Amino acid sequence: MSQNCIQVKNLSKAYSDITAVNNISFEVPTGEILGILGPNGSGKTTTLKSILGLIEFDKGSIEVNGLSIKKDRNEILTNVGAILEGARNIYWHLTPMENLTYFAGIRGIPKKDITDRAKYLLESLKLTDVANKEIRQFSAGMKQKCALACAFIHDPSILLLDEPTLGLDVEITRTIMDWLVDVVKKEGKTILITSHNMDFIETICKRILIIRKGEIISHETVESLKEKFARKHFLIDLQDKPQKSLIESVSSFGSASTSGNTIKIELETLDHLLPLLKTLDDAGIKMLNFRSMENDLEDIFLEVIREETE
Amino acid sequence: MKILNLFGAEGKMMYWSLRRYMFNTVAMVAVLFLIFMGMFWGVKTIGGSGVTGDSLDSMLVGYILWVSAMLALGNTGGEILSESQRGTLEQLYLSPLGAHRIFFFRAIVNILFNFIIMTIMLYLSMAATGRWMTINLLYLYGMIFLSTLSLVGISFMMGGLGLIHKKISSVNGILSFGLIGLMLLPTYPMTPYAFLPFIAGAAAVRNHIVLGATFPGWWYLFIAANSIFYMVLGLVIFKKMEKKAKRLNKMNQY
Repeated sequence: MSQNCIQVKNLSKAYSDITAVNNISFEVPTGEILGILGPNGSGKTTTLKSILGLIEFDKGSIEVNGLSIKKDRNEILTNVGAILEGARNIYWHLTPMENLTYFAGIRGIPKKDITDRAKYLLESLKLTDVANKEIRQFSAGMKQKCALACAFIHDPSILLLDEPTLGLDVEITRTIMDWLVDVVKKEGKTILITSHNMDFIETICKRILIIRKGEIISHETVESLKEKFARKHFLIDLQDKPQKSLIESVSSFGSASTSGNTIKIELETLDHLLPLLKTLDDAGIKMLNFRSMENDLEDIFLEVIREETE
Repeated sequence: MKILNLFGAEGKMMYWSLRRYMFNTVAMVAVLFLIFMGMFWGVKTIGGSGVTGDSLDSMLVGYILWVSAMLALGNTGGEILSESQRGTLEQLYLSPLGAHRIFFFRAIVNILFNFIIMTIMLYLSMAATGRWMTINLLYLYGMIFLSTLSLVGISFMMGGLGLIHKKISSVNGILSFGLIGLMLLPTYPMTPYAFLPFIAGAAAVRNHIVLGATFPGWWYLFIAANSIFYMVLGLVIFKKMEKKAKRLNKMNQY
């Protein structure tokens, strides 16, 4: 299980004068889900597409199951499925069943060999009732579930998913997340996934790679990231929007920011808590709510990105 | 076997798409028929009694050749454009059999489908004009298939350009209309024009069906070699453009 399924070494790619990916290296062990986080334009998609051989990279090497993507791409693709960001990935004028048959067919797999697999995928993604309906009529979530089914139809052991929940509501995101976790548990897939949805990444990934401006700035397990950045912050809901002068005075106790009527403050030490509350009281500020929060993955991500910028 | 399954998948895709867009298919046959009838009545009106049966036969066969050529020429470029617009092009590039094979078999399926459309059009036109020809359909379609393979090669070149430049339909238009003139050029026994794609095959079909001309075996071999040459050239250029598109990350952009 510890064997590396995907091995990226010193990968670099530039588009004329813009560096998309700069000398990055990482591995994905067999059976693991690795999440890639990063702001827009950080190089996530370029990395994924380089692994799929959809982009020709300038320097470095990529191996999948010990095979080079430059030399053995076709052999690698027999065992890889993908969902690409910003694309439909499937034919909307066809039905889910027709799409599954077609995508298996262009991989050289006849319909009779995918019947059980198609049935299982449609059933587990709750698409059986609409299996013979034109996809055009479906909601965005159902369309994305069909795209997932097509990416899984040839039973690949490696999946590359670029923003699979982009633009989907909370309920469908949860469904897809649960489904992926279940599939990984049952079928032991190796997955490389990018997403802006931190809950999604936190739930399904063991390790996270954070990329910024084409460079890896963090590569750790979710646990160690959380441990490293484990900080408490406080959210104070006020009756009125806080004045600039108030923010300046509470900033002496720690890093403070505002969002609407709420002040978010990360205290340098817990000893500052009482003086902070006294300052608010002295200023005649009416507090509606006071909450203590742990840093979640989103806070950690923003902190890592901020640290690197500074 | 895998290749056969790929061919089958393209056949099914064509069938599903036709079924879903049945109106479009019927409209296509109707438009092709109406264009021919327009041409037919135009020639009859202008030419009067000077228009012979042979020239009408030649017009009908020439029209079928031109439509077949036009559809083959626009195939791969058009398919790449529509896959790119649909957002499914990159998924085709994830097939271990290669996108060039997918587009090749799609072109073959399209040519075969066009034969059905052409047969309907042919008999509709003969019924409407009252001029019935005895046509050896096997010869007609066999030769069209053989010679349009050269245009599939040209279409692959256009498809390669399409991967990078996307909007290439105007170039296709120019090539299609240019073909009308080129198809009238003499090719047999061996003129320089015979080395152009499709022209020699088209001339052989027209002369054999309309005038009953026969050709030696080497001429058919020459037509086959011409098609293979353009097909290989097209694929080589397509693969080169594909590499460039991957280098520039143009594959998903429209």
